[in-house]
Amino acid sequence: MNGATKDTDRKRPRYISDRKGFFSAEQAERTRKRSREMEKKVRTRLSSAKGRAKALAYFDELMRYDGVRAVELKEFREKGGKVVGTLCVMVPLELIEASGAKHIRLCSGYYEPVHPANELLGDAGLCPLVKSTLGSKMVSSDPLVDMADMVAGPATCDGKMKLAEMLEDWVPVVMMNLPRVKLGGTSSELWLNEVLHLKRKLSELTGRKVTKKALVERIRKWNEASELWNKVCDLRKGKDPPISGQDAMLVVQASQSDDIDRWVVKVRELLKELEEKVRSGGSVAEKGSARILLMGSPMIYPNFKIPSIVEESGGSIVTDELCTGFRLMADPVLLDDLSEKEIYSALADRYYFPCSCPCFSPNDERLTRLFNAITTFGVDGVVFHSLRGCHLNNLEATKIELALRERGIPMVKLESEYDEGDVEQVRTRVEAFVEMLKARRKK
Amino acid sequence: MSDFKGRNIRPLRLASQLLGVAFVLSLLIGIPTFGTFPVLRNIFLPNASCRYINSAPTSCYYYQVQDGLVQGSSGFYLDLLILLLAVVIAIVLLGRFWCSWLCPFGAVQELLSWVRGLLRIPPLRLKWAHRVLLRRVKYTLLFLTVIISLPIGISALGISQCQSTLALPFCQVCPAKGFFTVSQQVLGLEPWGTTLPILAIVSLLLFLVSSFFLRNAYCRICPMGGLMALFGRVSLPYLRKDPDKCTKCRVCLRVCPMDHDRVYDEMERMDVAGEDCTLCGRCVELCPEEGCLSLTYGPYDLVSSRRPRKRWWSLPLNKTRENGK
Repeated sequence: MNGATKDTDRKRPRYISDRKGFFSAEQAERTRKRSREMEKKVRTRLSSAKGRAKALAYFDELMRYDGVRAVELKEFREKGGKVVGTLCVMVPLELIEASGAKHIRLCSGYYEPVHPANELLGDAGLCPLVKSTLGSKMVSSDPLVDMADMVAGPATCDGKMKLAEMLEDWVPVVMMNLPRVKLGGTSSELWLNEVLHLKRKLSELTGRKVTKKALVERIRKWNEASELWNKVCDLRKGKDPPISGQDAMLVVQASQSDDIDRWVVKVRELLKELEEKVRSGGSVAEKGSARILLMGSPMIYPNFKIPSIVEESGGSIVTDELCTGFRLMADPVLLDDLSEKEIYSALADRYYFPCSCPCFSPNDERLTRLFNAITTFGVDGVVFHSLRGCHLNNLEATKIELALRERGIPMVKLESEYDEGDVEQVRTRVEAFVEMLKARRKK
Repeated sequence: MSDFKGRNIRPLRLASQLLGVAFVLSLLIGIPTFGTFPVLRNIFLPNASCRYINSAPTSCYYYQVQDGLVQGSSGFYLDLLILLLAVVIAIVLLGRFWCSWLCPFGAVQELLSWVRGLLRIPPLRLKWAHRVLLRRVKYTLLFLTVIISLPIGISALGISQCQSTLALPFCQVCPAKGFFTVSQQVLGLEPWGTTLPILAIVSLLLFLVSSFFLRNAYCRICPMGGLMALFGRVSLPYLRKDPDKCTKCRVCLRVCPMDHDRVYDEMERMDVAGEDCTLCGRCVELCPEEGCLSLTYGPYDLVSSRRPRKRWWSLPLNKTRENGK
């Protein structure tokens, strides 16, 4: 777990000793090609949607395969800059920015890189997101993932934890010991120490001290971003949501890899356009569509399979309970005291306590958040999606379904893989669900 | 201090606290608040005018409690009961608003905390076990006051000669006594040469040092607060939490100067004020959830939390980049 590249080279890889020779160049090329094709398809579908805000074009460009971001980061690295990849939402991005590095989200939504990972691991039951992320690093199919000089990986679920360990064969990893039992004082202290450890590792990487001034300035910026994101979400509370669920997810996921200063400017433009749209009565949802809340396993761009099916079947995603959606930026860092220790503790708490990832126990706040969202957004039904092999979400699905049943909110549970094979099957179920919701409302 | 929050209660509270301090200072120069009218003079609402201010016409209610315990045995403790009744009614009506909105002790502690904040020294965070222990100290002090004062007053016990030394046991260790005695002597309002209240001066120093590092250090052990806390459950003003809106982000507990765990832990009952909340509204200011925490009076919400936004003031730290342009 040493930050310096030299040491990692000397260290014997744990998983593949012959890294170069394990895959043929053809396979890598095929993975790249298919990833590009898949992303292009998704992007075309998203951008051809009717009544879509024009300001969203920026986010399309940013998130596209082989897009501007990879080029920018390449230039940044050539000038000596460092890029840090993050694996889960618990990594304080303010800290990475304050250290002078840039951050990218490593979790991959591409389908094709699953196969190289499968060849190595041979575990069909493992979470496809983990496999895809590993695969894209193995055959270096994603130019953005290749930019990472270091990876910050909180040990959330089993898959992510071992993924971080496996990634060590390619890139230095800072594992973060996330206390999965939320106890209050003791877990807060442990997590604070992990954040401070990350801070030291970041300073080693960039050779720059993380100053308090820079950190506070970054926290202020992210608070501004969070305020804007909440405003965008507020617009979806109304009868006519001006932005689709997929686009909203695209916007918020872009914040994980973008410069937040630029993101804030662009989202402010977007917000202005959306507000204008609300005033003139424009809506992206068709009339009488069922209002859906999306929750469950992460859906990383371009894996927008489930949301696209929902929105094509007459549903309108008005909010979500996803770590790749609303939850990502919902909470600001509230500074009370400006001493260094208190700033770090506020930062660590922000990334730990409000997070309702199913890897935590107790996780009752997930239900609270869910019910709160159902009332404020006027949700008709819940679509619960879990990736194959996502045990934590599978387990919580039962709890959530029972709690929803008590309140008379219907829920459908979908399980999906990282391929196109199950699209039609899922579509049939979602269509039936949406029809049922519409019929219920008419009653 | 923080320029990103939902509500802004602090200025109002500061004004109220200044009023509270002015109240004591006016008594210091001999202007009676309730007038010297005989009936009004005897109403002792909780106030903080110290008996050791020479010209003060009334005194702190805790002094009256001790006095009533000692002197009361001849009069069936009637004075004490009337006093306690007045205090209970005041607590039911005003709750512990007193503590963080008017009490001069509270104002001085916050001033010290503010200075500490300016010096960027982090506050001392106690471990849970120590916090719980401290909470008991205030009841212990209350109990000791009674157990010392009461037998002294009963002449049959034959320890009446202790009256000169041990009556008013709490006043002997109260920081206010130290402060007012010394300051009056320094200002020449009282002649030098009377004995120096060493105990009170030591506790004054302890008060200053501990509340500099630990937020609301004195409030945690104050027996007056302890007496109020006994009746806190029935008071009309309270801190209301809507557990359905709580996302357990723990901001409330982090900013609470009393480290009042209940505001974070409680997920069933609406009333989270409990024994320790002084209704300062810090958590209401910073709670990021719309309408989750409120300062409530009976059925009415005085102020509720709302989503934080950028405030117009900001610290000089912020004068760097703007909007990435």
